[in-house]
Amino acid sequence: MPVPTMVDPEPSVGNTAPSQQAAKKVMTKAERRELQEKQRAAKAALKQSQPQPGKPNQPQQPKQQQQQQGGGQAKPKPPQTPQKKTFLTESTAAKQDRAAKEAAAEEAAAIQSHGLRIFSHFGQPKPIGHTVKGDIHPTIIRLGLLFSEFKICGANARCIATLTAFKQVIQDYTTPAQNTISRHLMTHISPQITHLVSARPMSVSMGNAIRELKLEISAIDIDMVEQDAKDALCTKIDNYIRDRIIIADQVIQELAGKKIKDGDVVLTYAKSSVVQKVLLQAQEDGKKFSVVVVDSKPLLEGKSLLRSLTSGANSIPCTYALLPALPSLLTEATMVLVGAHALYSNGAVYSRAGTAMVAMMAKMHSVPVVVCCETYKFSEGVMVDGFSKNELVPLSITQRNSSPKDIAPTQNLERLNPLYDLTPPRYITAVVTEVGLIPPSSISSIPLALGKTSM
Amino acid sequence: MGSEPRSAAAHRSVDVLASKLRRRQIVGSRATALETLLVLRQVIAKARFANLEQLVEIIRGVGRRLVDAQPKEHSVGNTVRKVLHHIREEHHAATQGTNVAAKPTSFSISKFVLQGQPRKHAAPQKSSESKGTLRENDPDDPDSFARGLKPVLMEAIQDVLDELETVYDNISKNAKDHIHSDEIILTLGMSKTVEAFLKSAAHARNYSVIVAETAPSYDGREMAKSLSTAGISTFLVPDSSIFSLMSRVNKVILGAHVILANGGMFAVSGSLMAATAAREHSTPVVVCAGQFKLTPLWNLYHEYGALDFGNPTDVLGFENGDLVDKVDVVNPYYDYVQPELIVAYITNDGDHPPSSIYRLLKETYDDEDNEL
Repeated sequence: MPVPTMVDPEPSVGNTAPSQQAAKKVMTKAERRELQEKQRAAKAALKQSQPQPGKPNQPQQPKQQQQQQGGGQAKPKPPQTPQKKTFLTESTAAKQDRAAKEAAAEEAAAIQSHGLRIFSHFGQPKPIGHTVKGDIHPTIIRLGLLFSEFKICGANARCIATLTAFKQVIQDYTTPAQNTISRHLMTHISPQITHLVSARPMSVSMGNAIRELKLEISAIDIDMVEQDAKDALCTKIDNYIRDRIIIADQVIQELAGKKIKDGDVVLTYAKSSVVQKVLLQAQEDGKKFSVVVVDSKPLLEGKSLLRSLTSGANSIPCTYALLPALPSLLTEATMVLVGAHALYSNGAVYSRAGTAMVAMMAKMHSVPVVVCCETYKFSEGVMVDGFSKNELVPLSITQRNSSPKDIAPTQNLERLNPLYDLTPPRYITAVVTEVGLIPPSSISSIPLALGKTSM
Repeated sequence: MGSEPRSAAAHRSVDVLASKLRRRQIVGSRATALETLLVLRQVIAKARFANLEQLVEIIRGVGRRLVDAQPKEHSVGNTVRKVLHHIREEHHAATQGTNVAAKPTSFSISKFVLQGQPRKHAAPQKSSESKGTLRENDPDDPDSFARGLKPVLMEAIQDVLDELETVYDNISKNAKDHIHSDEIILTLGMSKTVEAFLKSAAHARNYSVIVAETAPSYDGREMAKSLSTAGISTFLVPDSSIFSLMSRVNKVILGAHVILANGGMFAVSGSLMAATAAREHSTPVVVCAGQFKLTPLWNLYHEYGALDFGNPTDVLGFENGDLVDKVDVVNPYYDYVQPELIVAYITNDGDHPPSSIYRLLKETYDDEDNEL
């Protein structure tokens, strides 16, 4: 609920009061309970979604209102927002809609209240218990929750999970009468995608895969039997996962593995599934090397990498440190091996926050920086600054793996947890892709290497 | 005569401080400097000496013990050096009489080149001819020298103490000249000096601060809390996002642990990365530090910041018990930040570029005390 502002039209309070009284009479007990529940949910969502100026006095307002409504004495209170009262006459859907709008408006207000509009484009992380709108497949709802809880995290994992879920969606889909699958399936899939995006912004890898999927759907022969068409699509999806991710990773393992020699100290940051595979493969090949895992908030993913590197029968000798300790460790490192979220055609690598810093320090120490990345993460267009496009990790996620002394946001104190940053091409020695080791300056030629005929 | 240089009580207070330092019960450069000064005052008050050399030797002895107890707290040694410097100065003033007034004006570049340092010319004749009322090594009354000198020494120590107590005020008095309206400042960790500086600037300016949490101590949280309660719009970010936010930062303000003779410094780990990222974005890096952090030492350890390591539990705790015995965990306390990465030092003795730190050192300490 928005904090009352100067522009709040005072007369409207008078206008809404009578209608509210009228509504009160027709309201049954069940309706009233439903309304209260709704308000409570909205309140909880707001509480999660943002650190607010004037937050402490907020929770009382809805309570007051509930009491008023329960008692049946509708005395309009000037500071109360008029929208709240009109709720009574609105349909359930409209109420939800309104609540969402209010939350958005409040978000904007929260950001502006800090006087720093430069951070406003980040938006606020969404509350986890987001609503389901429209006809969403249960697998997608489940996936949405896994995404928003960061249970499935990482570009590859998210892409594979999304494609697998879409296979299910496609199999459970039946074309309505007087429609063709190539036309109608798209309209069925779009809200599913929207739902996933509302859970967490889409990764570049997912975007590329979905674009490919849409292309395949539109190319379906109209005369094909529906089940055959669905099976064909599922095979296409399987092939995409196999060719662009699984096989690509195997080629990268081999190429990057060649760069690891006996006695090397490989420094890596956070956790990348490809890097993990490369290191484990090199270990399996009998190479004697050690690994330095550097880690940092917000997600502290390095611990999970550390676990998988040390859990095997003959574990790799590992050193673990947090990001500030990096300069002390770089003197020993012979190579920096990191993963990526996306590649941009100017050679920049968009990756987990902190990678840029690791690459920068490695460059200062003349340690080669090797990025492992499948080509399906390539994104057309350029990116020059990790600030312009980023994603914030919700507080509930960061606080999950935090010591108890973590502090809560207050009026003047805001927490920002950017998830990504952009490593400029000048810090990168080479990018290992399934089409070979390429210098960052040649990243723009990846589409050509994949058989695209023109830029 | 000088066979029993320290009384038992003074001896004990030195022991107490030494063990506290060793156990890291006293940490932080200002706290250790203050404690050292109090112990030195006690030692001097109780000391028996017949000439300057004896007194200097007593103080050096105390200094050596304290420095050996905790070599990483450089402000202990600095305080001892500073006190020695003041003692010589007071002694010089007392014995040379009027001559001393002319001394500061006699400093010029040409003499500086000839003599190496401005004070050198006074040093040789220091104890040779005693003038005025002070008589060294008086066989009739061996304590007369100490009696005559102690009051001025106490005054000198009080001066140092006052300086230490007002250090934050003096550093932050010009804060508003360094921070301008609507600027975005990045800082990390918890530095009392930086905290005072930023709060003082907030009286005159409306600006925002981004505080990096600074793992593994996460001191930045405390800093962010303190700044936000002072009404400064504060953003608390993890260390990993320093690079991506740097493009919007106008100035990086850091605290120091030790300022070295070459203009570099030891600072909380993470400072080197922030300073390097700042240079990559051409963002100025300003360091706020009290003068007592100036140390006549060079970085002997280079990359491994001061070879001082903290508790690995902070990095990888026993809740990850399966990992603890398989993995080396590193938690260095400090980073060495090269002078090239720093634009200016803001001290209670004025603002200086890193290149003139050596000159400040020459003015603050005597060369012969560099090795205690």
